[in-house]
Amino acid sequence: MASAASRGALRHLRQALATLDKDKGFSLVEEDILPLGLPAVDAALGGGLACAALHELAPAAPAQFGTAAGFALAIAALRTATGRAALFIQTDFAALEAGTPYGLGLDGFGLPMERLILLRVPRPVDALWACEEALKSRGVAVVIAELPQAGAAADFTATRRLTLAARAGGGLALLLRHRPLPIATAATTRWQVAAAPSTPDRFGGLGRTTFDLSLNRNRRGHSGRFIVSWDHHACAFLPQTLSLGVAAAADDGPIAPRRLARAG
Amino acid sequence: MWLRRLTTDRLLRAGSPAPADAHAGGSGFAPSDTPLVVVAPVKGALRLAAVNDAADGLGLKPGMALADARAMYPRIAVADADPEADRRLLLAIADGCDRYTPLVGLDPPDGLILDIAGCAHLFGGEESLRRDLVARLVRQGFQARAAVADTVGCAWAVARYGDDNVVRGRATRSPPPPELGFTRVRHIEWSKSETSDFDRGKDRVGGGGKFGIHDYPPPHPSPARGEGADRVRGLFCVPSDQTVDALLPLPLAALRIAPETVTELAQVGLKRIADAIDRPRAPLAARFGEAFVRRLDQALGLEDEPITPRLPVPAYVTERRFAEPIAREADVLGTIEHLARALVKLMERRGEGARLIETALFRTDGKVHRIAAGTGAPLRDAARIRALFVERLAAVGDECDPGFGYDVIRLGALATQRCDPAQTGLAGGDHAEELAHLIDRLGARFGLRRVTRLVPQDTHIPEYAVAEVAAATCRNITTNTSLALRRLAPHGPLPLQGGGTGWGSPRQPPTVTPSPLTVTPSPTLPLSGGGGRPPVLRERDSFIEQDSLSPTRPIRLFDRPEPVEATAAVPDGPPVQFTWRRVRYVVAHAEGPERIAMEWWRDDQGNALTRDYFRVESREGVRVWLFRQGLFTDGAPTSWFLHGVFA
Repeated sequence: MASAASRGALRHLRQALATLDKDKGFSLVEEDILPLGLPAVDAALGGGLACAALHELAPAAPAQFGTAAGFALAIAALRTATGRAALFIQTDFAALEAGTPYGLGLDGFGLPMERLILLRVPRPVDALWACEEALKSRGVAVVIAELPQAGAAADFTATRRLTLAARAGGGLALLLRHRPLPIATAATTRWQVAAAPSTPDRFGGLGRTTFDLSLNRNRRGHSGRFIVSWDHHACAFLPQTLSLGVAAAADDGPIAPRRLARAG
Repeated sequence: MWLRRLTTDRLLRAGSPAPADAHAGGSGFAPSDTPLVVVAPVKGALRLAAVNDAADGLGLKPGMALADARAMYPRIAVADADPEADRRLLLAIADGCDRYTPLVGLDPPDGLILDIAGCAHLFGGEESLRRDLVARLVRQGFQARAAVADTVGCAWAVARYGDDNVVRGRATRSPPPPELGFTRVRHIEWSKSETSDFDRGKDRVGGGGKFGIHDYPPPHPSPARGEGADRVRGLFCVPSDQTVDALLPLPLAALRIAPETVTELAQVGLKRIADAIDRPRAPLAARFGEAFVRRLDQALGLEDEPITPRLPVPAYVTERRFAEPIAREADVLGTIEHLARALVKLMERRGEGARLIETALFRTDGKVHRIAAGTGAPLRDAARIRALFVERLAAVGDECDPGFGYDVIRLGALATQRCDPAQTGLAGGDHAEELAHLIDRLGARFGLRRVTRLVPQDTHIPEYAVAEVAAATCRNITTNTSLALRRLAPHGPLPLQGGGTGWGSPRQPPTVTPSPLTVTPSPTLPLSGGGGRPPVLRERDSFIEQDSLSPTRPIRLFDRPEPVEATAAVPDGPPVQFTWRRVRYVVAHAEGPERIAMEWWRDDQGNALTRDYFRVESREGVRVWLFRQGLFTDGAPTSWFLHGVFA
């Protein structure tokens, strides 16, 4: 970790380089990054998820698109914590196959539904076009584009376009495929998201939402595999721990009557 | 404007034989000098509904029986009447006439009424406008006659009867007078001053009818023509002060009255308007009906007769005409932006912004493409208007075929809204405004209904608890009101350690029946420890009580719950395994049931639509929302469905 003085010098140098490189269309200025709050993951990502960039997510198993979408929505919840909007683009077929985002569930998950705008498009190319336009416009902080199956329309060229658009507009682009695409793309990071068994609470009920993340490709650091949980109350990621999760105790009054108040 | 031979012109233009084989033996319609009649069944007999000039010359008249016509001329071509096609054609012609004025009224079955007040000077005066209109229609194969007059009634009469041949009726059958220059043309009509008052009045109150690009002077009466007005023949532009003179020699049928009335009038010796015009009105009305007198007064301009415009008249209009038609998309968009700038200036003056903008592209051959784009918030920015139409043109695609090019492009704001200028931040980008524009553009491309926001609804049925509302219509609600609404919601916030919540306030019927495993707080039994402290209102309030480490509602819901095969250890217990999309999952943890029943006030069919929901996690960690349909009854098979997936 560099000291404050050297960091300042570094930033100055980067800015100087950026002015020289302006016409090349990319900049070395210190980027907007989104720390996930997970030391291991953030270290691998170089401090956090780059915001003006494209990230690809795919479920590890066919039926786990809910899990992959959950990870994308969790990132969106972190990114839109300031109240900005997120855009969720779905093709019609993807909506049929994997269901539509459910407002009450999003509310409970940590992403209030009024922050989300949904766009349903007929074809994958439309989704890519809309994604690019939204990234350029600066109107939304996060764009999630969901493509059915492997999303072959989002090939290297298309992802490159999205990357450039994200860089131009400063938006965070998340490309959600229903199956991993086996060819190379221009995405900054590529993740495979699998569901992991949660740590049950002491009543044997469901625990916190748990992801098994495989960071398969990372342009800015090493890849890795992480098991993380999402705390929807605090709206934060937690490293998976071995201790039992317990419900928060009421801070006033006896907790005994609440103990049985479980899952409606 | 009168399209004299609309029906037969349509068939001749189409050039192919209509399904006339049954009558005419399948011979195609040849050139316009072949007699052609159109027949329609009237009281069980086929009668002529329309004839062309050639057939007219042979003495065939509408109303004759087809059998009589066949007896006279066995070889005439016959076609079936198609009033619907005639109507569509009339609408298409009306579209084309929009280039002259935004106020085009239909006068079915074969006429159009155009209000050219304030528009005529743009075409070099009333007479040249009329000639242009007629010439345009003649080029396309229509026999049209047009007349310009102060009143609708007068124009109608002059257009149809302002010709000695017709006035004298059946005695002469010579073609229309050659000095008109367009021999096939019989008639178009057109009113002037009564609606010009109407228009000026509107302008005064700040309404519609403002033409932006053209800074038009107030309508002025056309100068009296040199040739005397005593002779109506060939004069289709009736000067303002000669309305009465023009009407006098015309037959009473020119007053748009029923044929029976004309017959009755003829029986008492009243044949021309001149015969009736000076008679006392009261006896006329008593004997021949109010309608006759009203028509007479309308023709004379003593009574007002408004024109009903076919299309809504835009509040603001700008347009541009081209000497040479343009066909390239870039040119069209450039023109739109240019027009938008003028439109914006007009709207700025009145502090309004456009909510619905329409571009009308007038093709040289008379076809009109209308492309509308809606916005979510009042818009007053030329570049953004252009951006909207970039998307609309891309979305419309090949349907908008420029053909030989467009020669008029008009941009109108159909719906406007008050739009106060906002202070823009010095720091640049305003996210909310950018977002509004993005929503408009996405809506222009894919349809406004495809860009949605989620709005909570006051119901417990999961699939109805959230509605997708077009984002363009609910932006304000979601940013401001929604939170306020939510805070009013009786079952809204429930911090675990907070105060009371409830299912059961007066507007919230008890739709969720607590099942044995569920402890649902009720308003009558405040939770211990909840007393005295108001509920904590946070920005992130949830409708659903979060009493578990995992969320209680799935993040994705299927529109139709998917059937799964599930087995439960006890009949109404949670499943121990289930098969979904051909994959078998063993349940590791389950929570539930959460019973959601039909809302009681809707349960009039008697079908118990009860679902017991379970949140289930498989051994691999897949978390889904399952429900068992209906109440358990011994012996009946239980059906299970998967309604949503958790993260």
